[in-house]
Amino acid sequence: MALLEVEDLRVAFGNATAVDGVSFSVEEGRIVGLVGESGCGKSVTSLAVMGLLPKGRGGRRAKAPEPVQAAAAEPAPGAVKAAAAAPQAVPAGGGRRSRGGADVSGRAVFDGTDLLALTPAAMRRRRGKDLAMVFQDPLSSLNPVVPIGRQITEVLERHRGLKGAKANQEAASLLDRVGIPDPVRRLKEYPHQLSGGMRQRVLIAIAVACAPRLLIADEPTTALDVTIQAQILELLKDLVEDEGTALLMITHDLGVVAGMCDEVNVLYSGRVVESAPVRELFARPTHPYTVGLLGSIPKLDLPIHEPLTPIRGSIADVIRWKDGCAFAPRCDRVAEACVDGEPPLIGSAHAHRCVRAEEVA
Amino acid sequence: MTTARIEKLDRLIEASVSAREAQTGSLLRQSFRRLKRSPMAVTGAVIVGLFVVVAVLGPVIAPYDPTAQTWGKEVFLNRNIFPGPRAENWFGLDHLGRDMFSRMIVGARQTLLVGVVATLIGFVAGAVIGGVAAAAGTFGGRWGERVEAVIMRAVDVALAIPMLLLALSVAALLGPSLSTVMIAVGVAQIPIFARLLRGSMLAQAHSDYVLAAVSLGVPKGRIVVSHILPNSLGPVIVQATLVLATAIIEAAALSYLGLGNPDPGSPEWGTMLADAQRFLSGAPQLAIYPAVGIIVTALGFTLLGEAMRESLDPRLRRQE
Amino acid sequence: MSTEPEDVTPQGDAVIPAQRVEEPDLPAAGPALLEVEDLKVHFPIRRGVVVERTVGHVRAVDGVSLSVTQGGTYGLVGESGCGKTTFGRAVLRLEEPTAGRVTLGGDDVTALKGERLRRFRSRMQMVFQDPLGSLNPRHNVDMLLAEPLKVHGVGSKEERRRLAVETLDAVGLPKTVLERFPHEFSGGQRQRLGIARALMLRPDLIVCDEPVSALDVSIQAQVMNLLDEIQGEFGLTYLVIAHDLAVVRHLSDRVGVMYLGRLVEEADSETIYEHPRHPYTKALLSAVPQPDPEKEAARERIILKGDLPSPANPPSGCRFRTRCPWAQDVCAEQEPEWREAAPGHKVACHFDL
Repeated sequence: MALLEVEDLRVAFGNATAVDGVSFSVEEGRIVGLVGESGCGKSVTSLAVMGLLPKGRGGRRAKAPEPVQAAAAEPAPGAVKAAAAAPQAVPAGGGRRSRGGADVSGRAVFDGTDLLALTPAAMRRRRGKDLAMVFQDPLSSLNPVVPIGRQITEVLERHRGLKGAKANQEAASLLDRVGIPDPVRRLKEYPHQLSGGMRQRVLIAIAVACAPRLLIADEPTTALDVTIQAQILELLKDLVEDEGTALLMITHDLGVVAGMCDEVNVLYSGRVVESAPVRELFARPTHPYTVGLLGSIPKLDLPIHEPLTPIRGSIADVIRWKDGCAFAPRCDRVAEACVDGEPPLIGSAHAHRCVRAEEVA
Repeated sequence: MTTARIEKLDRLIEASVSAREAQTGSLLRQSFRRLKRSPMAVTGAVIVGLFVVVAVLGPVIAPYDPTAQTWGKEVFLNRNIFPGPRAENWFGLDHLGRDMFSRMIVGARQTLLVGVVATLIGFVAGAVIGGVAAAAGTFGGRWGERVEAVIMRAVDVALAIPMLLLALSVAALLGPSLSTVMIAVGVAQIPIFARLLRGSMLAQAHSDYVLAAVSLGVPKGRIVVSHILPNSLGPVIVQATLVLATAIIEAAALSYLGLGNPDPGSPEWGTMLADAQRFLSGAPQLAIYPAVGIIVTALGFTLLGEAMRESLDPRLRRQE
Repeated sequence: MSTEPEDVTPQGDAVIPAQRVEEPDLPAAGPALLEVEDLKVHFPIRRGVVVERTVGHVRAVDGVSLSVTQGGTYGLVGESGCGKTTFGRAVLRLEEPTAGRVTLGGDDVTALKGERLRRFRSRMQMVFQDPLGSLNPRHNVDMLLAEPLKVHGVGSKEERRRLAVETLDAVGLPKTVLERFPHEFSGGQRQRLGIARALMLRPDLIVCDEPVSALDVSIQAQVMNLLDEIQGEFGLTYLVIAHDLAVVRHLSDRVGVMYLGRLVEEADSETIYEHPRHPYTKALLSAVPQPDPEKEAARERIILKGDLPSPANPPSGCRFRTRCPWAQDVCAEQEPEWREAAPGHKVACHFDL
């Protein structure tokens, strides 16, 4: 039994479906990637697992409304934006907006408990302790008017019962652990006094303060420069190796995936279209979307000026999953079979959702 | 690469595209669609609409001449007792025996006129001042920056003077009349509009599309008029709706203080309220009608303005 | 040099500025179109409430010289805060240079003023990072594309429209989009529009500031291919500014690496990636995650210490020394010379690494 098992997760904002039946699992001590482009539902998935989505009208267990994939073009980025309001509310302690509430269904079993079935209070007790999250934008995830030391000790106080000098000492050693020089002095500083890379380190320090068993990192390095990105990725990798934490890595960057992850799930239009161990995925990409993504990336060792092989169209060109493969309108290998109802997930260790994989391979 | 044409796929794409297109349209149309669904906007629009209809049709729909006096045993001026609501006079009679209902209806026009004209004065003058300041500061070089600084400090000073005091001084200069009230209230709004438009324009001036226009060689004047200004007016127009509500209240206050139109032939809610205060203990209804009228109208404009502000807010634009 | 836009009259038949380069496939070592000499852009730091006084300068660009060959692509790469965006804007005179000279096809851009500068802008254009933000939300495509022609007095209304349709076709958009507004397009399409607008005046030089970084991976490739295609078709010279080394390498023939307002290394695209000489370039290259697990596992990483120092107060001597793994005493004392370490390979480092 894996540490986290997500089964058939669906998230809808009004009548726009952001996540349309996502399943994956994360084992202890492993790094699992959720890869995809904007609007594919990767961030919404992580927020749903963390219980950070604003509740929708239909209530949590409401039957998922008819998926309107067509809407995915506009609403999906919008939906992510709506969800992005949630992380900001985290350090401030709740107070989420009711607008754009999400209807969540499916299961997210963490160590035997379905997180989606927990009450908000029970979820709050686990969040930060058993599972923690690192967000993309470190500045808006930290409270700007509270010294970073206080923001760390707050977590230590709540989940580990540490107080006063002891908490301060622990906070300093956490900062030291994430590679912040002169940690005791830094405790008194405010987020705006730190650089982007430092702020992300502080965020990671807060996330690992209670030695969580699962860490979710949502585009943790997208806002950072490459040299700083390298530092942060190295740090995350060390944490996983030293503490045996499971890491769910959400990113759009296949380079980051290749360097970090053990297993990869590729998302498209709210569904996993391919999932495999990392080497397997890069060696034998099977779904045309994965193939297309890999062909779109300029590589440092390819001949200069050789045209890339992009995927045509845009993420706005989709059809509903229940009608066929959502990627079909952009796919070069499309055939009748692709629009013959929902494509099933084929295979287990290296699974994909392309009905024509055998024929075209 | 050759791609097989699949009829069914074409149909599915078609369906998804048409489903999506229902959501597009110009930004204005999208905002309007959002507005129609907001209960706040609908309430505000109904109140404002009703008010405007009454104001326009005033004398036509009023059951009596608002200046006609009914003298008789019912009106006892010296005892402060006037007939209250009854079948032939829905709102009763005032101290001079005039039909209150008709006076309220006819008075709506004056009230609307004062509000609209005052807001227009504030809007136009404020927009010119703010616009000039922003344009000078953005494209006028070193000299322009100085011009902007001088204008904006003057605006700050004007903002620091309490609005009613400012309006009172203007009214004192011009003597009591309806135009005094309009000008006084309008002048008091100028600094607000000036600041707002300048702020809004400066924000736009730093946007990429303005930089793009500069890089294309678009002349400065044209950048201000065709790029910066149209994109800056949204919040100012919303503010105008809100100011209209304030202007109505302020105009009423000035009239109440005796600076309004002394002509009894054209009733105005503020003046009516002022007249009614003498009889407050005996006939409070005389004060209540115009007061409620002013409050409800101001509320209507405020609701509409707030709803517009929300629907135009770019942060909420994508969330559908 | 071909005709200048001033000579183009709205009446004549030759309404399209005839600026296309005669031979689009010039060799990389052709004559220079853009020459930048010792360009500096310093922003004053002002303090004080009533009386403002200048207490220092942010040296965003602090003495950069480079030249871009006609029909070639120069890639300027560096991390945020290195001054690359300011440099690009200063070249186009969208930011006032503090010192230095920029010449385009022999004409001194830095000396131009007022109306002459405005006229000259038709020869140099820009493609922005944020495709939505760089398009006026209230202008439809027709207005968007016609405006540059209108303000330079090119063509009649019909001719402007014909040119707009032609340019849309070149960037892969159908003419049916003319009536649509920017927010109705996807990110990639918006960037195509931004490129089309820059093409409308048929400029000689296009500065692309992070042209693909705001786009999704699958769309980035489309836009990069498009930039490559139109370069030959319209005889364009590019200055590509980006933080992504893979993107810069893919688009450019020559690459310059910027750090804290200065160039630290410059060489042909191939050379700089195969034999980087400056420690910063080495670190940058080693930090780029490669979409290949085998290479990632084998990769030797040079993890830099700390963060970028403040450009208001750069370190003495070599600016990179505070983060350099190979720093020596001499690095703090002496500024390294901008020297040619190998033919066509310039570097600012005391050592041959």
